[in-house]
Amino acid sequence: MEKGIKRSAILMVLPLVLFFLILTIFPFLYMVYMSFHHYNLLEWKPPQFIGLENYFNLFKDKGVISSIDFTLLLILIALPIEILLGTFIAIFIQNIIGERFIRSVLLIPMMIPAVVAGVMWKMLFNVEYGPINYFLSFFNIEKIPWLGSSIYSKIAVIIMDIWQWTPFIFLVLYAGIQTIPQDLIEAGKVDGANRWQILSHIEFPMLKPLFWIIIILRLVDILKLFDIVYMTTFGGPGYATHSISFYIYKVSVSFGWDIGYGSSLSVVLLIAITILTTILIKTMRLWELLEL
Amino acid sequence: MGIIRIIGGDFMNKKLFISILKWILLLFILFFFLFPVYWLVITAFKPSQEWFSWPPIFIPSYLTIENFTGQSRGFEGSLSSSIENIVPYLRNSLVIGLTTSIICIIISSLAAYSIARFKTGGRRLASWIVSIRMLPPIATVLPVYLIFKNLKILDTWLAVIFVHLVLTIPFSTWVLISFFNGIPKELDEAAYIDGASVWKTFIYLILPLSAPGIAAMATLSFILSWGEFLMALILTSSAKSQTLPIFLGRYITGFRIAWGPLAAAGIVTMVPVIVFSFIMQRYLLRGLTFGAVKY
Repeated sequence: MEKGIKRSAILMVLPLVLFFLILTIFPFLYMVYMSFHHYNLLEWKPPQFIGLENYFNLFKDKGVISSIDFTLLLILIALPIEILLGTFIAIFIQNIIGERFIRSVLLIPMMIPAVVAGVMWKMLFNVEYGPINYFLSFFNIEKIPWLGSSIYSKIAVIIMDIWQWTPFIFLVLYAGIQTIPQDLIEAGKVDGANRWQILSHIEFPMLKPLFWIIIILRLVDILKLFDIVYMTTFGGPGYATHSISFYIYKVSVSFGWDIGYGSSLSVVLLIAITILTTILIKTMRLWELLEL
Repeated sequence: MGIIRIIGGDFMNKKLFISILKWILLLFILFFFLFPVYWLVITAFKPSQEWFSWPPIFIPSYLTIENFTGQSRGFEGSLSSSIENIVPYLRNSLVIGLTTSIICIIISSLAAYSIARFKTGGRRLASWIVSIRMLPPIATVLPVYLIFKNLKILDTWLAVIFVHLVLTIPFSTWVLISFFNGIPKELDEAAYIDGASVWKTFIYLILPLSAPGIAAMATLSFILSWGEFLMALILTSSAKSQTLPIFLGRYITGFRIAWGPLAAAGIVTMVPVIVFSFIMQRYLLRGLTFGAVKY
């Protein structure tokens, strides 16, 4: 009996394991192999071994540098704003009339397929007819070429990222606050703590793990950023809004078909994401959430 | 003075007063988050002469469904993107989404049951699933593109379904594990004692008990597949297999864009996602945070 159960248990995870071996592990090894080769689909030549050359080229590539710059900009500006704003809304709407309504409605920006979000923002940011420039004209601000100038297009992507992801941070923290036992807060009140003290000594410490999850998930998402950039700025003007994923797409598919070089970029991206994921798994002991 | 005294009078009124103040601030926040959606919706129902105008038109003079039916004339050089053109993309999205969702549920519920009950693979397997969940789509799809090219299955439903499964299976496995953990083990053990096999127990006992969770994960897999862009973009090249997001992506890069029909197509893409995610909020959040949030 015991043995039969064990066999069934293994048979049950087998489809998942096989599927991922074939669709993630094998392709990954193939990609590492490709990253040591010169392989451009436009040249109609078989892959040619060039050792580490692709990796050396990374350091000299202007595109890599500007996409890292842009990524850092998102991490240093967009992410802190999202966290502050999301936290603020989560605390602010506690006990307000219409709490549930707001919670549901704020789900929309997060859930809308990013391509559709791209369509709407492209309309809003339109130089000549866009509502954003119209609102700004009330303050005597002249029409801003949102998607056409290298500074404003960066700001535009930051605004879109804030729009898309603040709701996620809000929802996670809001749900987290709901799970804080009410008697803890009551006890604090009895001891004479004011709203701010309750927040900083009871609520924030309990939310700390959630902040940690949020930060890592958002870092990974920023590295994956693609759809909305494709739909609005298409990485431009020039290299201004190339996210890392967008740059890899451009090198290996849309412009260059340089699969070898694209693979080496992807390997580096994968390593970065694996490090972040490992930190998340280890520090949060994620398996404990599954009672493993 | 009198009014303030009345509003701020007893405790209930004070609460109402604070709520009103908070709502005024909140309206600004909601405006920022909801105005873009409003703009998409009204543009989809605007007559063509009102797509471009200065000042922009916030309330259309009349509402029309021409943008959906494809009767709007657009203007010279614009691409017309009516529902008629959308049909093949809609079909592809539905087929790919539904198939992904069904296969995803089969693979992930089996694995989740095994992991939840027998700790198969332990921490290592669980961590592996998380890593796959975090994979950047561009890195998944590049080598897969070459492999599928050799297998000659580029630009087919199958190609897109495969990569969408990479996206949805880790997500749904993770949530289902925590879902199965919530079902008392004693139930399974009672079934084993009565002589049922693991498979029978799973199919006749556990599956019916976890129907809400399974339904939620099927829906979320469908939504994820429905909205996915990058991988489908690389693996497809014609209306034979391109999904709705690719349709939107193709028309937006044109020089002169017919905003009305494009917004209409955007609504068709968006509505199922919004509806389902309202219904599935709680599972959604649980999945996105690896179960750290339960509510």
